[in-house]
Amino acid sequence: MKYQRGMSTFGAVLLAGTAGLLTATLMMDWMVVDVHVVDVSESDDIHADVPLHIKVPFPLLIADIATGFIPDEAFEDAKIPPEARVHKELVLETIRALLDTPDAELVKVRTEDANVDIFKDGDTLRIAVDADDAVVRCNVPIDGILEALEDWDWETVDPQMAFDILRAAENGDLVTVATEDGVRVSIKMW
Amino acid sequence: MKRKALILVTVAALLAAPAAFAADETRWVNVHVTENSSNTKVEVHLPLNLVLTVLRNVDVENFHGGHVDLELDDDMDINFPEIMAAVKDAPDGKFVTVTSDEADVNVHKQAGTLFITVDQKEDEMAKVEVTMPMELMDAFTFGDENTLDIAALLQSFDKLPDGELVKVTSTEANVRVWIE
Repeated sequence: MKYQRGMSTFGAVLLAGTAGLLTATLMMDWMVVDVHVVDVSESDDIHADVPLHIKVPFPLLIADIATGFIPDEAFEDAKIPPEARVHKELVLETIRALLDTPDAELVKVRTEDANVDIFKDGDTLRIAVDADDAVVRCNVPIDGILEALEDWDWETVDPQMAFDILRAAENGDLVTVATEDGVRVSIKMW
Repeated sequence: MKRKALILVTVAALLAAPAAFAADETRWVNVHVTENSSNTKVEVHLPLNLVLTVLRNVDVENFHGGHVDLELDDDMDINFPEIMAAVKDAPDGKFVTVTSDEADVNVHKQAGTLFITVDQKEDEMAKVEVTMPMELMDAFTFGDENTLDIAALLQSFDKLPDGELVKVTSTEANVRVWIE
């Protein structure tokens, strides 16, 4: 029998495994925590490109699995007060109504120290705070919050909720905080 | 040819106009508050449905499911529906005029709308103007135990034409509430 050259079984398995891992990695929801410490005298633009920063990307799935290892006893003392529980229907119905609301600027506050704007944009609530000492941008996925609150037992703190909300968030900036002392933190979904 | 195109565009615009108006039927409740001392401005622009949903689900003391307890003494026997009907059926004219050192109060009806004005002459020098279209009168729903259905009242805003409902101007703050 003539020897035929080709890919070894090991190579094929390695290639398929690498391709599968790459695909799974790309399909996963990733969260990136981005911390910049800048010289404020150089730039006060929160979106300015600053070369020195710490970037910590991690897949939500891993964080999700990790929360499963937290013992239940850790949350035993973190009970939700009954006063909050009675407002469950109010909260859920308000969020459902908010989802049905047409896109618009819902709240606008102007003071000498800060400006606050809240916009409804599709399934996202965009909150912008421009204060003297900090600039905050927050994009809240309304549908994710509704889903998480519907699934929640409203009795104990559930870290799983955070991941349910994050999974529903659109790609891009989730939270960006820039303070006057030059610290800029952003959490991005990818 | 140009004329033909112009006619076609005009007809298309006329046909599309009702659809465009029908597309956005959301009624919005607007509240603007300006505090003069701190130069603070708050503008709230919320769809009526959202406000109603919140009101119908609030369950706190004296306010349950959109009904507010008027906290009237049991010995007070006020027939609110009758009063509302009387105001609605009354002809245009001045109903109440109060002049005092503290404030002037005027209640008058004009073209199917009730206007209530209060001019304070001391303290905050507040000037209050309440505009109440007669359609609102039918929406005042009172319960057996001296409760007023605020949610039903707000629901009736849906039928109101765009316009201002409440305007308060004073040395401390200005408030404006209108529907659109």
